[in-house]
Amino acid sequence: MTKGDLYLKLGVSGAISASLYFLLYFYEREILESFTQTDGLYPALPIIAAFVFSFAHGAFTAYFWEALGVTPRRPEA
Amino acid sequence: MEQIAPHFVELAASNVVGLLLIGFVGGLVSGFIGSGGAFVLTPAMMSIGVPAVVAVASNICHKFPKALVGAYKRHQFGQVDVKLGLVMSASAAAGVWVGADVQNAIKESFGEAGSNLYVSLAFVIVLVLVGSFVLHDAIGSLRSDARGAQEVTSRLARWVQSIEIPYTMMHFKTSNVRVSALFTIPLGFATGMLAATIAVGGFIGVPGMIYVLGAPALVASATELVIAFVMGLGGTIKYALHGLVDIRLALILLAGSLFGVQLGAIGTTYVKPYVIKLVMAAIMLIVAVSRGLVAPVYLAQLGVIDLGGAMMRWLPMLSFAFMVLALCVGGFIIAGAMLRGHRAMLLQGKPQAVEIK
Repeated sequence: MTKGDLYLKLGVSGAISASLYFLLYFYEREILESFTQTDGLYPALPIIAAFVFSFAHGAFTAYFWEALGVTPRRPEA
Repeated sequence: MEQIAPHFVELAASNVVGLLLIGFVGGLVSGFIGSGGAFVLTPAMMSIGVPAVVAVASNICHKFPKALVGAYKRHQFGQVDVKLGLVMSASAAAGVWVGADVQNAIKESFGEAGSNLYVSLAFVIVLVLVGSFVLHDAIGSLRSDARGAQEVTSRLARWVQSIEIPYTMMHFKTSNVRVSALFTIPLGFATGMLAATIAVGGFIGVPGMIYVLGAPALVASATELVIAFVMGLGGTIKYALHGLVDIRLALILLAGSLFGVQLGAIGTTYVKPYVIKLVMAAIMLIVAVSRGLVAPVYLAQLGVIDLGGAMMRWLPMLSFAFMVLALCVGGFIIAGAMLRGHRAMLLQGKPQAVEIK
């Protein structure tokens, strides 16, 4: 992956992750109200949210460390 | 202004920053040793006014996506034994079930203080026994590493691997281990029991996979993330059905812990296996001290001993401080080991690329 590709992916995943956290901040009460209901499919909401955030924010954090030069290396044999 | 339900607290900016930081260090430790962090996150949330059951539910809801990201990352480095993780998870689920029932039975018979005392004693006994053993082995591994020796399989694991029980033998490719399921089942069960009791099943699971089954430390710590994912997902479903997950807390913790878990996972590629054992032992022993400090408070609440009011206030605070210390010590050892590994890599020249599977 070139530096340009890396920064583009970092920017896109960062924007998605930040948007999700802004939504959580601005709609805090509505989200909390729906996510704590126990009827129907409402209990699935926290699980779906956790998966969505883990994919978006997980991608961002991976690109973040890579952009900083913190990359893996095999331990010595 | 509309009020939110009383068991969901208003979050101040300072609380959010605190949760992000503690989430980061907890994630770092989890990414590195496969578990840890949960023991301090639940009390940390309770300290800002979150009720215990919501703190546990929110912690577990942040745990499974963190474990998923950590497991995926370490799978890329070829460290995860998915089959071993799933086999262990199956019996761990049964262990969680039984552990929760034991916990409830103790609570009904001896009340909240009795239940807390049971948890603290389980912490102290398990962590002192297993932590001392892991520390002893880590020091031995450190010495043999200085002589250039490879990671050795324990005598117990060699015996376990030598037992052939027809129709129960399983081969775990990544761990390069062939053992009977009759050994993995009780081990997974104990991991689940401990997870239901002290929230950190990995303190049994990881040493168990290393010393009983003979899996390498790197593989054991990575595989624990698969078990944590399965148990965390199951726990989240259970709590979500009762509407107890505070998704804000879970996602704030996740924001910090995903940075940490990625860094911890990368860190494992820089260090020798004994460092994983050393971090685990240090955390286990400091947490044992923390829980030991608070045990007299529960004994006093049960009327077994008499403690002054000042002691009743100070001991829980001191106990919490030791938990934070455990996490910080783990974080410092990991950061130090990574920096030393990075420096050594720079001295050797061009870094070796990791083969991504």
